[in-house]
Amino acid sequence: MEFFLQQIMTGLSIGSILLLIALGLAIIYGSMGVINMAHGEFVMLGAYGAWAMNAFFGVGLLPSLIVVFLGVGALGWLVERGVIRFLYRRTLDTILATWGLGVMLQQMIRLSAGGELRYVEMPSVLTGTVGILGVDVPGYRVFIFVFVAALFAVTWYLMFRTTFGTKLRAVVQDRSVASCFGIDADKVYSLTFAYGAGLAGLAGALVAPLKSVSPEMGTTYVVDAFFVVVLGGVQSLFGTVASALMLGELTGGLAYLWNDTIAKALVLLAIIVLIRFRPQGLFVSRIRS
Amino acid sequence: MTTHLELSNLAVSFNGFKAVDGLNLKVAKGELRCLIGPNGAGKTTALDLICGKTKPTSGSIRYRGQELAQMEEHLIARSGVGRKFQVPSVFKQLTVRENLEVAYCKRTGVFANLIRIGRTPESDGLEKLADFVGLVDFLDHPASYLSHGQTQWLEIALLLAQDSELILLDEPTAGMTSQETQKTADICNRLKGRHTIIVVEHDMGFVKEIGDVISVMHQGSMLAEGRADEVSANQKVREVYLGKVGIGHA
Amino acid sequence: MSNAFTTFLNNRTAVQITVYAIVCGAIFLFPLVLDNDFLLNRYARYLVLGMAAMALSLSWGYAGILNLGQALSFGIGSYCMAMALKLRTVPVHTGEGGLPDFMVWNNVETLPWFWQPFHSMPFALLAGIVVPVFLAVILGWFMFRGRVTGVYVAIITLATLVVGNLLIIDQQRFTGGFNGITDLAQLELFGIEFDAYSKSTYYLVAVCMTVCLFLALAVTKSKAGMILQAVRDHEDRVRFFGYDVAWYKVLAFSVSAGIAGVAGMLYTVVMEFASPTFLGVPLSLSIVIWCAVGGRQSLLGALLGAILVAGMEGTLSESETFLDTWTLIMGAAFVLVVLFLPNGLAGLFEMLRRRLAAQPAEKPTEGATDAAVLADKGAAERS
Repeated sequence: MEFFLQQIMTGLSIGSILLLIALGLAIIYGSMGVINMAHGEFVMLGAYGAWAMNAFFGVGLLPSLIVVFLGVGALGWLVERGVIRFLYRRTLDTILATWGLGVMLQQMIRLSAGGELRYVEMPSVLTGTVGILGVDVPGYRVFIFVFVAALFAVTWYLMFRTTFGTKLRAVVQDRSVASCFGIDADKVYSLTFAYGAGLAGLAGALVAPLKSVSPEMGTTYVVDAFFVVVLGGVQSLFGTVASALMLGELTGGLAYLWNDTIAKALVLLAIIVLIRFRPQGLFVSRIRS
Repeated sequence: MTTHLELSNLAVSFNGFKAVDGLNLKVAKGELRCLIGPNGAGKTTALDLICGKTKPTSGSIRYRGQELAQMEEHLIARSGVGRKFQVPSVFKQLTVRENLEVAYCKRTGVFANLIRIGRTPESDGLEKLADFVGLVDFLDHPASYLSHGQTQWLEIALLLAQDSELILLDEPTAGMTSQETQKTADICNRLKGRHTIIVVEHDMGFVKEIGDVISVMHQGSMLAEGRADEVSANQKVREVYLGKVGIGHA
Repeated sequence: MSNAFTTFLNNRTAVQITVYAIVCGAIFLFPLVLDNDFLLNRYARYLVLGMAAMALSLSWGYAGILNLGQALSFGIGSYCMAMALKLRTVPVHTGEGGLPDFMVWNNVETLPWFWQPFHSMPFALLAGIVVPVFLAVILGWFMFRGRVTGVYVAIITLATLVVGNLLIIDQQRFTGGFNGITDLAQLELFGIEFDAYSKSTYYLVAVCMTVCLFLALAVTKSKAGMILQAVRDHEDRVRFFGYDVAWYKVLAFSVSAGIAGVAGMLYTVVMEFASPTFLGVPLSLSIVIWCAVGGRQSLLGALLGAILVAGMEGTLSESETFLDTWTLIMGAAFVLVVLFLPNGLAGLFEMLRRRLAAQPAEKPTEGATDAAVLADKGAAERS
């Protein structure tokens, strides 16, 4: 029993990190149809932001989250204005352009912060462990889980309970009609992109204490996050949650049965098969085309 | 005359909304049938069902005795059903000539088409077709250069190249001048007899010009059927669709 | 400009064949002006990468299948060649006919069954083409029968590549893992030794490249090629003409995989090893980049794009000044190309041809001027 709980906790922990990273991507891809390959680099920038705040200003991880969110969000806004807005009718090309951006961001960090690994310290209050149902779970992991849940709630509220969210959903439905009703579609899109980027930055800052920080760290995250979003269904926030947790449990479980590599390969195969039979995602019902 | 196409009890629903509901229709070989009705009556959906773009929830579509209801689109097309779409659908990046060659589809296999390289004697027939719809000067231009009207003509030419036994036309005269509408009517009248044609149209003058029998759809099923004068005299039809003026003045 | 020349320019196929032939000719003549085996090896490498990009153009540019896993076919080809060449070495540890060195280090006792047939060179050469093609047919059938399109194709192909890469690395005992397969024998065909640093290898690459290029050109010029382009434009419409779209896509996908397989085999010959990076995500994305820069809708464009970008990368990353900024410049250039030159460098060339063809020097007729206006309009629309 305890073993299973341990296993489930590991899965939840992997899943919450996946969700953290995928949430921003889900919003950007789900509502704007933009495949942002630079998402991983936004994550990486968030991690470097947390590192820099600590190394240069002595600010701890938790206070620097705000700075990171705003900073990466602002960068996202610039990217949307400078590049993405030219590509709204060319979904596949967004893959290419944002990949180019990602390469540039990586290299900029390499040139400014150096290529060596960096480490970010965990906030001292969260270094202990918490007993949940008789299983010891690192406090920081619990913190991430709670933080992600809160972040998700805020995002959901933004999307479905505010004027901005209504406007965004209107623009997603039909951009030109929404514009005719006086919605500034450009502004809505750039703010959405900025918000998604900001979330990625937060994700980076939060995972930084768990992993080492390097210019290349984003690459693996973006691929995983993508699978989460696609699996969950492109326009479903709850689907994203479900698929993140599912993939987390699956990866954790398979990794126990075989090894990490085989677990990853099997999860990928499962994703391939799922996309083939349910391209609309697992948690979205079929709609009239 | 033998029945060429028969829809019986055809129904399709999207998330509970019944776009077509209990539709019955019989079309004889060589007949030109006009399908009219108010917006949302399910006319385009009916065509979508016949050509396989949409799969019916229930009911049957029998064409030359063959059941089409669950067949894949390309197999339906091979069995002799051609379709012109409401929004002109041509291959924008291909030249007019290439569009026609794609539409000329007597052989559909991958390998048969892999070995055939370059121009063939058929190309000449296709040029005549282009001439017929007034696009001969544009043969080597990509279709994206054509105006809306020319694109309509190109799609009609594609249908002629495809040379299907059953032709489905969805609002062929939308956006055409009155001369062009007349020319389309001439083409329809010429095809009649050799091909079976179903036309969805809003232009009543055009319908009157070409249609032998007119079917009126309303809320997904058939409301009335008959010759133009019969239909326009029908009280129900006047109520839901034609208004008080009747055919000829709309 | 004479009228004959204008007529020639108006015939897109004729222009294409001429330009393709000129470029191939130049590639063959190149060793006459460059007598440096080290550089020849490097250019042979660029040509091979160009083949991979050209193959991608066939599926991406002509059939709209964005294959982010192109490196999988490339890598499989490369490993097939490496396995055959490895078995041709005399193992240090086990002597003639024994096990490859890395297997001995990994305590493998007998040669695994799937290594056995690679004793035969013809088998290896065939496998380097057939295995990628076979996998592409299976994967293509799986995707395209299910009408998976666009982004989802990109994701599935990418995921397949990652699976392949993970397996190769994980099965270290049989594949050499991270290190790949190194210390290979030289390829010998028809009594010719193909030393990686020699004219013979360069010519081998040039011949294979030319054959593949014209083969791909023939596919695009056939009616099937035309239908593929129609599929790219408007997939659903093609079905209503009675074509089974899935099989046409499988055709483009698998021919592309076959060419990438050949390129992979040549890559092993040129590089003298095979490595998991040959089927890595970075290489696969680079192939996409080259293809986009050169012009995804042009076979030759994609080929030259790869040679140009990979060549610049090779040269600039060596010089002190550009060592650091090179990646930055490359990334920026790439973003600009995607934004403003969706048809890549080949798109510029095509625009030039249209313009020249539409303006005969002597007396511009009305029709010709119209065409020029139209050509401008078209170019504007597409950008």
